[in-house]
Amino acid sequence: MNVMGIIFANDATMGDLTSKRTMASLPFGGRYRQIDFHLSNMAAAGIRHIGIISRHNYQSLMNHVGDAEEWGLELGEGGLEFLTPYAMSTTDRYRGKLENLYNAMDFLEYGSDDEDEYVIVADSSILSNMDLPAILAAHIESGKDITVVTKSGIANGEKRLDLAVKLDSKGGIQDIAVDYVAPADYLASMDTFVMSKAFLKHHVKECVARDKYHMDRDLVMGLWQHGLASLNVYEFEGIALFNESIEEYFRNSLALIDKEVRHDLFGAHHPVFTKVRDRVPSYYGENCEIENCLVADGCFLEGEAEDSVLFRQVTICEGAEVEHCVIMNDTVVGEGCELEYVILDKNVTVRPGSRLIGTAKNPIIVKRGETV
Amino acid sequence: MYFQKKRCIAMLLAGGQGSRLKVLTEKTAKPAVPFGGKYRIIDFPLSNCVNSGIDTVGILTQYQPLELNEYIGNGQPWGLNKTHSRAQVLPPYERYDKKSGWYKGTANAIYQNIDFIDRYDPEYVVILSGDHIYKMDYAEMVAYHEKNEASCTIAVRNVPLAEASRFGILNTNPDNSIYEFEEKPKQPKSTNASMGIYVFTWKVLRQALIADEENPDSSNDFGKNIIPSLLNAGHKMMAYTFDGYWKDVGTIDSLWEANMELLGKEPEFQIRGDERHKIFARNSALPSSYIDEEAKIYNSFVAEGSEVYGTVRHSIISIGCTVGEGALVEDSVVMPGVVIESGAIVRHAILGENSKVCRNAVVGGAYGPKDKKKISVTSKGAVVEENTVLAPGDML
Repeated sequence: MNVMGIIFANDATMGDLTSKRTMASLPFGGRYRQIDFHLSNMAAAGIRHIGIISRHNYQSLMNHVGDAEEWGLELGEGGLEFLTPYAMSTTDRYRGKLENLYNAMDFLEYGSDDEDEYVIVADSSILSNMDLPAILAAHIESGKDITVVTKSGIANGEKRLDLAVKLDSKGGIQDIAVDYVAPADYLASMDTFVMSKAFLKHHVKECVARDKYHMDRDLVMGLWQHGLASLNVYEFEGIALFNESIEEYFRNSLALIDKEVRHDLFGAHHPVFTKVRDRVPSYYGENCEIENCLVADGCFLEGEAEDSVLFRQVTICEGAEVEHCVIMNDTVVGEGCELEYVILDKNVTVRPGSRLIGTAKNPIIVKRGETV
Repeated sequence: MYFQKKRCIAMLLAGGQGSRLKVLTEKTAKPAVPFGGKYRIIDFPLSNCVNSGIDTVGILTQYQPLELNEYIGNGQPWGLNKTHSRAQVLPPYERYDKKSGWYKGTANAIYQNIDFIDRYDPEYVVILSGDHIYKMDYAEMVAYHEKNEASCTIAVRNVPLAEASRFGILNTNPDNSIYEFEEKPKQPKSTNASMGIYVFTWKVLRQALIADEENPDSSNDFGKNIIPSLLNAGHKMMAYTFDGYWKDVGTIDSLWEANMELLGKEPEFQIRGDERHKIFARNSALPSSYIDEEAKIYNSFVAEGSEVYGTVRHSIISIGCTVGEGALVEDSVVMPGVVIESGAIVRHAILGENSKVCRNAVVGGAYGPKDKKKISVTSKGAVVEENTVLAPGDML
């Protein structure tokens, strides 16, 4: 496939959950990191040349991706590359994605324009199982400069959207808005774009030369408003999970327990690959009660869990009761604990008999490695 | 090509048919038979090699090798795909001197691959078989072999005297040197049973293999020919006692038992939590398992990618299985990709890969504490039709 991919690893927007990691390396769905969904989408589409743009906190991300073998990719020039600030810095602070892209010009210019004729840009906060070849085909067929992949049903008059599009009754674009609390008749951008490499390179250079750095505002909306680019709005039909706040992350984590959501995200078009940990199968003890849960490998379950997501190697001791919780890997919930609406990060120890009760809107978060 | 000299390499005999596993090995070599929810039998010796610092493994295949070859692939799951480490599949081949064809016996299989071993110029070669479940540090055994300046060291385990006549028995002197080998003796003199794990000094084994090949009466087998001939020639041969868990899973009953021995809070065979002896397996890329609100699971393993709606008790549910609403699975080994539909009952069974138990069908039965259990088995892809019965001990 003559396409290259760019994935924005993104800065933290989730407080304690992302204090030491990017959005790309945020654990999700029991055994994944958010970037697994994007790497799997691209790898399944035969895209081999992928740049991951990360500004800082990228150590956990690099650890996770490793040599990229699990996704069938290869590290190095022409393969998967980390476009870290040290490798590309000409300014010390990045104000927006266009400056990142400008500084990744070497990556964009690798190979001829024919070799990688198109670029697919994705964002690691929004997860889906996407048929990228179909989206590329739709882009080419449209003859437009930029394809914006969008999702209906996300705009609700409450959520602030990075980029929102309203179509008229004939499918033409009626309005485009950036950083906007859009009403429900808007489509939300999934921060996934398709364009030709030549187009992207040209406009990134043009924008940055004029001190414009905001991808949604200056490149997509700005060029469209000025008649410099035509837009194709692609409406994505599958499940799209927008993990842009702790509340959304928590809600979407538990939404995976639902069969329809789970089957779509993990298998609509291709499997989702992740780093292998070689854990044993999960063990369910003589007296455990596990109901309506998503359970990864390596767990040791002797207590009760309901409506929860248990990551790899989670231990729930006897007499513990866990409800509406997201429990990340290697965490131990001690005997007789009572937990409701809690996110336990990796390697947390909850002492026997503890009681932690949060709410759906405000789950309690216990930081990585802590003992409570 | 450059081959780094190795002190020790391993040769894994994975070509046997495993006919005593009956329908389970109709289309699959025994080492590729699934085990423990997410593993295959060969993962155990391969992981042992890696955990023992052995990074070059020749895998001798012959019987129904497709699945086994696919599974081993480039050796990546075990880290055996690097510049100086490899898992090399060695199938039989046609030789210039027509002295070969199929592997005639275990010793002949190694004989035909002398060239492979010579490339690494090893001091020692470990010979393993692909049908045992255990965790063992071969490095310790090799060190023992080296310290004793032996030509051959054989791993042994103590078996009850009453059972000793079912094994190859090694009679030893007080210093553990072997003076006699008896294959399935009627009157066993000792209880040291050979585990089929050998360390050889390569120079000695190389000569013995060539001599054995020239003997038209030999059946070219390690136990029957190589070991006795080295003993007769006066080579120093040592017994190395291993007292950890070890199981030959060559029969339906022993395969079922070994799976069950993984269960319990403190199982007989513990594979959890031992970071230095991790068992590696090829990744299945399946999501987490879903456990429904009506599901009940007790004292069981459930591997990734499964969906459980019914009741599971004292069983192994492997990767990618479904246990439907109201279904009951008890005392059973459910291999990867099996679908058990709603209302079905499965007891004391091994359900082969991708087999299916349709609605309200019954497989196997329950037993009292003293009854002799009969394990029901379904072969790969078999279908137990709706409302039908697969009787205890029957195979489909």
